[in-house]
Amino acid sequence: MNREQLFDIATGWFDSKGWKPFPFQTQTWTAFLQGKNGLLNAPTGSGKTYALWIPVVLNYIKKNPDYKTKYKPGLKAIWITPLRALSVEIKQAAERVADDLGTQLTVGIRTGDTTSAERSRQKNKMPDLLVTTPESMQLMLASKDYPKIFKGCTAIIIDEWHELLGTKRGVQTELALSRLKTVAPKMRIWGISATIGNLQQAMEVLLGPESEALNNAVMIKAHINKKINVLSVLPEKMDAYPWRGHMGLHLVDEVAAIIKKSRTTLIFTNVRSACEIWYQALLDKYPEFAGDMAMHHGSISREMRQWVEQAIRDEQLRAVVCTSSLDLGVDFAPVETVVQVGGPKGVARFLQRAGRSGHRPGQESNIYFLATHAIELVEASALKRAVEETVVEDRVPYLNSWDVLVQYLVTLAVSDGFYPDEIFKEVKSTFCYQAITDDDWQFCLNFITRGSQSLKAYDEFKKVEIEADGRFKVNSKAVALRHRMQIGTIVGDASINVKFLGGGYIGSVEEWFISKLSPGDVFIFAGRKLELHRIKNMEVLVRKADPGAKAKHASWMGGRLTLSAQMSELLREELYAANTNSMSQELKALSPVFERQRKESIVPDENQFLIETFKTREGYHAIFYPFEGRYVHEALASLMAFRISLLSPITFSLAYNDYGFELLSDQEIDMQQVLDNDLFTPLHLHSDLQRSLNATEMARRKFRDIAVIAGLVFTGYPGKVVKTKHLQSSSQLIFEVFRDYEPDNLLFQQAYRETFEHQLEEGRLLLALERIQRQEIVWKQCEKPTPFSFPIITDRLRERLSSESLADRIRRMTASYMK
Amino acid sequence: MTLEITINNNTFVLHCTGSVYWVEKCMLLISDVHLGKVSHFRKYGAAIPGQAKYKNFLKLDSVVSFFSPERICFLGDLFHSTLNNEWDLFADWINRTRIPVILVAGNHDIISPHKYESLGVTVCSEWQLNGFLLSHHPEQREGLFTLCGHIHPAVLLEGMGRQFVKLPCFFRGTKQMILPAFGEFTGTYIMEPAEGDIIYGITKEDVIQVEAKV
Repeated sequence: MNREQLFDIATGWFDSKGWKPFPFQTQTWTAFLQGKNGLLNAPTGSGKTYALWIPVVLNYIKKNPDYKTKYKPGLKAIWITPLRALSVEIKQAAERVADDLGTQLTVGIRTGDTTSAERSRQKNKMPDLLVTTPESMQLMLASKDYPKIFKGCTAIIIDEWHELLGTKRGVQTELALSRLKTVAPKMRIWGISATIGNLQQAMEVLLGPESEALNNAVMIKAHINKKINVLSVLPEKMDAYPWRGHMGLHLVDEVAAIIKKSRTTLIFTNVRSACEIWYQALLDKYPEFAGDMAMHHGSISREMRQWVEQAIRDEQLRAVVCTSSLDLGVDFAPVETVVQVGGPKGVARFLQRAGRSGHRPGQESNIYFLATHAIELVEASALKRAVEETVVEDRVPYLNSWDVLVQYLVTLAVSDGFYPDEIFKEVKSTFCYQAITDDDWQFCLNFITRGSQSLKAYDEFKKVEIEADGRFKVNSKAVALRHRMQIGTIVGDASINVKFLGGGYIGSVEEWFISKLSPGDVFIFAGRKLELHRIKNMEVLVRKADPGAKAKHASWMGGRLTLSAQMSELLREELYAANTNSMSQELKALSPVFERQRKESIVPDENQFLIETFKTREGYHAIFYPFEGRYVHEALASLMAFRISLLSPITFSLAYNDYGFELLSDQEIDMQQVLDNDLFTPLHLHSDLQRSLNATEMARRKFRDIAVIAGLVFTGYPGKVVKTKHLQSSSQLIFEVFRDYEPDNLLFQQAYRETFEHQLEEGRLLLALERIQRQEIVWKQCEKPTPFSFPIITDRLRERLSSESLADRIRRMTASYMK
Repeated sequence: MTLEITINNNTFVLHCTGSVYWVEKCMLLISDVHLGKVSHFRKYGAAIPGQAKYKNFLKLDSVVSFFSPERICFLGDLFHSTLNNEWDLFADWINRTRIPVILVAGNHDIISPHKYESLGVTVCSEWQLNGFLLSHHPEQREGLFTLCGHIHPAVLLEGMGRQFVKLPCFFRGTKQMILPAFGEFTGTYIMEPAEGDIIYGITKEDVIQVEAKV
């Protein structure tokens, strides 16, 4: 069959649905049928699924012209999705094409939710088209005879690649692809990505730098320009706006009005606890929403989430309060309006959320921004500009993630075993490991076979064995089982399932939260008031609580988001405008706050760097305002605290947000000396950061994930009661052991490297210091906290840094005694 | 480095390693060493640096030479798990040290008492001596003051300027004192002291009595 005939089949199918293929879809079909690899840049809900399922099926038809009568079994294509919740939708889309065209092709799903019976069925007979996740893909590489399964595969599609890029799951995917290129030489590799700053690099990471695959690749852009309207939710009177507070509940009435105006509204919050609280607040004030409103976040049971998703599609809901759990995924056509509560911190995320509304052709997307505290309105103003100028961020890919590589090598050793020479070439061909040296490689091999680099000590370490023919293989069943349980790179806090006494799974909460409750305590979770009955076998048993009972909201640890470099630049420019006559509507609304700020301090302009000092009963506060985003402030706070602590012994507690950072101490900081000594100098930045205690603290936290991924910590069997206690140890202890005995261990060093590259963002830090060097430092000694300082000084999540001896500090401290 | 205290007319010297010297009995008390933990992890495929296993023995040597006790009593959890090659290091240490050793067995001590006895180590489940009860688990018994381990106690200290410090400690109540874990590769549990409890925090160099918050 030639391409024209094949296209006729496809467009005929589109016609039968009353659709017309978009140009980007037919471009993708053509490129795919030409045997090309590529990256498709298309937003969620644009029809990207059919851009790639169609040519997979067409290709089968092309190879098997009598496809209607003769069926050729075997895996033909793999679709990788970052969220297993999306797999059902993707499967349905594929089935529609395969069935309507009479191909007899089967579609299967393999994720963490797939039953073991289904998995063993798949082992005997693979579906033709397989929908899976990066983790399940790795698990397949850990099964015997895996090359046979993939041998005839013609395509692998990585959906939402922008979500994976810049994470270790992305690295995991790179490694799987490097293996598949060898075992399935006919395989095309396609990525689908929303718009990010570094699309070209995204394609390079997917296909491998300077690879054959990259030479034979195209980038296809959907060019769907939809108008996005950004509207700020402003209260009638500005006096009511709180200086801090991260919920924005004072605007409940305004949000209710938005909901009432629109058919379906999605209300995005940044964290799960805010989602729970907003849902409750809306219901409390507007009981009439009951039944028309739902909640959606990652810890709620899958059944409930799927119900919510279906109900949105069926137009049964007026409003859904949700988190990033609804960022991705398929079309929700009825959604007309989106509300964003609190700063989304990144333009790409904001655009993605805005894009959830107004899916019908010709419709505009409406997104309301609800600032949770006064200063956040500056962010709203900056976001508006970002949307106008379509500024988007990069996703920075990981380099040299030894933890993921070590895990991958054990995975291969668990299946059929591997020969290092063959695998080394593949690993070196990936973006992540393009600079790997022979020594690094030897380190990884030693690590999995000997558990260290020293040859001498007789030792009982047991994991991967080297067989007589040089094959690296895991022979112990127990080792293999433990490894399979641990495959993955998402390290979360231990979570525990919540169930009703009479049965019925509600979702999961984190262990630390539940450990603070005792039987009889009431908490709100998944929108319900639940009374804790008891904790048994890793399950929290609850019953419905008295509706009048006092309750705590469930909360989750989850990392805090930081402003991207692009956003912070926009934010600074917006703020500087507060001193001019060209103020946006949001800035005008902020006038009372600016006025208050100017009473004791200033609103800095482009050429000023503001420092405020004041005393409260908590101690001596010094606040610095670089407006560079949370991560940069974390680093700057650490750096400044370290440099000041060199002047004289002192102890600080550090706090930071996206606007500035605070050094709090029980002693007064000699600010004049700070200024005289030019402590903001970019000189010696790297060594000072490394010496600052805080870098160690941050690395210690990074190490936690690394230790789990590299198999140094055994996290236990998820949801199962298996005695693993004797193998549990905190990664903190392990970090210290490495620091004392193997500081040159690559995994230990990786913790520091990740701290400097991904958390401290040393590059951005340097630019910030250089900017401060050019600014005039304005030091204001204030009587009391200013509006700008308020959200920072009230932050309870803090770091510490000290140059005093521990004993000296203890003598000034007291133990908190039980009341 | 040390702090001398009195309990029921007996003198105890608390050492910053978490060990205690009972002056009247010339006996060194040590709890929760968890020997063999590093090797145990390695045996199960977790590549903890193997060198770390020597640290506990260096620490033991240093307190033994500091106090020169006539007896050493381990208050349980001497070994973390089943037999592994750290046992040989322990046997070497016993032979080298030449001081009578008693083990009050704890929940982790699952190695056969015969193995200990073959080294000359006496194993018992508890020991009453001069009105004191030496045990692994905390326990309050009429007429006795308990010295024990098991918990790995620590306290959270608070200071001006939102300062917090977590500190391993000797946790003394009216009827018992819990020793901190001596072992290198062990965690801690944060205790909430009540009125009447006395806290002796330990740092790398010092033992410091901690003030209560008023």
